[in-house]
Amino acid sequence: MNEKNNAAFTIAILASIILIFTVADFFRGDRIYSETENRLLAQKPELSRTELFSGNYASDYEKYVTDQFAGRDKWIEIKTNTDILLQKKEIGGVYLGADDYLIEQHLPKDFTDEQADEKLELLRQLVEEWNAAVMLVPTADNILSNKLPANAPYYDETELLEKAAQLAGEDRYVDVYGILREHRDEEIYYRTDRHWTSLGAYYGYQAWLETMGENPYPYDVNGMVAADEDFLGSLHSKVNLNRQPDSIRYFPETVKKPMKVLYDFQRESDTIFEESYLDTKNKYGFFLDDSHAVIEIDTPYRLNKTLFVIKDSYANCFIPLMMTHYQKIYVVDPQYYNGRLSDLMEQCEPREGMDVLVLYDCIHFLEEFRYQ
Amino acid sequence: MVFSSILFLFRFLPIFFICYFAAPKRMKNIILFLGSLIFYAWGEPVYVLLMLFSTLVDYVNGRLIERCRGSRKAKIPLVASVVVNLAVLGFFKYGDFLVHTVNSLTGASVPAPGLPLPIGISFYTFQTMSYTIDVYRGNAKAQRNLLDFGVYVAMFPQLIAGPIVKYRDVAERLHERSVDLQSVSHGAKRFCFGLAKKVLLANGIGMLWADISGRDYRQISMMTAWLGILAFAFQIYFDFSGYSDMAIGLGEIMGFHFPENFNYPYISSSVTEFWRRWHISLGSWFREYVYIPLGGNRKGLPRQLVNIVIVWMLTGIWHGAGWNFLFWGLWFAFLLVMEKMFLGKVLSWFPRIVGILYTAVAVLTGWVLFAVETPSGIFGYLRAMLGLGGFIDRDALYLGGEYYVLLLIALAVSTPIPKMLADRLEKSKTGPGMALWRLGEKVIPAALLLLAIAGIAGDSYNPFLYFRF
Repeated sequence: MNEKNNAAFTIAILASIILIFTVADFFRGDRIYSETENRLLAQKPELSRTELFSGNYASDYEKYVTDQFAGRDKWIEIKTNTDILLQKKEIGGVYLGADDYLIEQHLPKDFTDEQADEKLELLRQLVEEWNAAVMLVPTADNILSNKLPANAPYYDETELLEKAAQLAGEDRYVDVYGILREHRDEEIYYRTDRHWTSLGAYYGYQAWLETMGENPYPYDVNGMVAADEDFLGSLHSKVNLNRQPDSIRYFPETVKKPMKVLYDFQRESDTIFEESYLDTKNKYGFFLDDSHAVIEIDTPYRLNKTLFVIKDSYANCFIPLMMTHYQKIYVVDPQYYNGRLSDLMEQCEPREGMDVLVLYDCIHFLEEFRYQ
Repeated sequence: MVFSSILFLFRFLPIFFICYFAAPKRMKNIILFLGSLIFYAWGEPVYVLLMLFSTLVDYVNGRLIERCRGSRKAKIPLVASVVVNLAVLGFFKYGDFLVHTVNSLTGASVPAPGLPLPIGISFYTFQTMSYTIDVYRGNAKAQRNLLDFGVYVAMFPQLIAGPIVKYRDVAERLHERSVDLQSVSHGAKRFCFGLAKKVLLANGIGMLWADISGRDYRQISMMTAWLGILAFAFQIYFDFSGYSDMAIGLGEIMGFHFPENFNYPYISSSVTEFWRRWHISLGSWFREYVYIPLGGNRKGLPRQLVNIVIVWMLTGIWHGAGWNFLFWGLWFAFLLVMEKMFLGKVLSWFPRIVGILYTAVAVLTGWVLFAVETPSGIFGYLRAMLGLGGFIDRDALYLGGEYYVLLLIALAVSTPIPKMLADRLEKSKTGPGMALWRLGEKVIPAALLLLAIAGIAGDSYNPFLYFRF
């Protein structure tokens, strides 16, 4: 090959890389939503004179082109694999832990003592006014710390938990940390998602029983049923690596009929397990129909007791276990409920009173917990 | 628009080059000019007028100088050009800084203009000033063709981040240029290498600095502090030299030869050498238009030292309107003066590696002044670097584990070794060496291009540092 042909060949290779993807990008359709990233993608911005001259149009258009670029998911995968090749153990806020665990990263610097004290103060009010039980679930990094990459930093939640234990008192504080730590070699957290599994929730239930002095309902751990065997959770979406999927399990004892579930005072259902979510990416939504401001559950157990749960999504796989203990369960997620929580609680409280439970994972407790 | 974006690579670049190469010769400049205006206006829909204004002013001044050639009146358009350019730069870049300084010194409360910095203003004002000065000095002929002159100022490859091309270096090629397959291929490869430097190295290692710089400096260990500033040193080098490579490569594809801007600065064995290897086009601009007119080294040592201080103060604030940039310049002026007086001689007694280490420490310390910006932050960071906050901790070990491969690659690419190996292969005219070279020179740029695209598409972290200048 002479010099000229050689140069022409090089140009042809490089130019065709650019041209192939330019043409491919030209013929692809716009996507509204990215399944792998679990988010809405930027859409083509509307052209107007003010937007154009302010420069907003240009930056929106750029976001649009980048989000919609042909083969985006594949490119992300290549990028992630390059990072792994470079020996990175953290990608996009997710630790690549031992035994194929993806563990969400929470850096100590992102959480201040003031923030913790502010939330604990709200919690103290709730405990004082309603005698609420407190159940703060440590996140996977704190329990599976042996699976984190070497020296990986994480926000240590034990101090927060100690303070919560102190203010709630022994008969109101549910020590989830201890029991999860004991069982940390079992499948108590999903490998591809930030939530605990139904088994994790079951150990949480054990801790709850102990604090509340309730009689245990004989749930059979070995009799758990898999609703779905290929759950790739939100952490998987963040790193987009080839991983073994998790299974979503539940206790068959919790599907007893008849029951009535009312979502946001509107939609009625006869189950707390929404199978339609199993066909989507967000399979954890199977529990309690994903996110709702208020859920009202009438269980088939005639016990004449009411539970009011203030919670985040960690509670969704725990609440089924509560059905055997209460006739009525109210579930409120302050992240979605805009009204005054105390007003709602007063409305819901029956004459004979109700139990109140606060159930959050520690991180969401710091980020999302509200009470007024 | 930045080069390292999907928009540039898969919209602007293919459309522009198809038009450019399809057009007949006499149309090429108009396409290049219009393309450059679109490229600039995309990010600066209003300030594009400022650039055109600056272009027009210098075009007219150049013509006037030419017309008054030989008479004393030629000085008027020269002064006008310098004043207008410095006024534009002063107002848009230093307005806020000056107002804040005056306010804090006098207790006044003059409102600051608060305007965003027009992209590339520091580069194009310096380019156009070099033009009028060169015309005045008789080093270049005034450009009669407004379009050709417009191409010189606005040409998109070097418009927003240099290299600062002197007019006389490209004057002929503005009018008449040709390319062959070899130079297009060479330019395209150069572009790929530059893109990879920016996306894979600068952005990758930049995340380490972003992490460390966001911490409380009272709580970082010595190792963390050094890792952080080392990461910044690599980030800014690969960011800027990658951008220069892309500019030079794009220029080459069109038949321009822009000056080199970097020559492995981190292997320098003195600060004097570092400034001959770092941002060469800026250094030579200041030497030619400030240092030498001030008398350079021809008026005795004391005067030379003063000149050094002046030039490096200006170099400092060229990089940004802030006290830290001034101190950054002064830090180098101090070291350069020391080297002139005795340090250079002392260093020459030792093996080269001693000089390299000294320069590394000097430059890294300089980067702290450059990157940290607030006085308390700078002192806090330097304190950590001295080990006053502990030598090593878990965080440092973790970060070291996360980034050591990238740091080693960055270190290797900062030296001429990879290039030397490639050159040796290229020279082996026959046998497996040549075959390997032929394969490598195609596969490596293509692979880097693909990885860089993945980096851009798969990562929203894509800031560009030199936009502030």
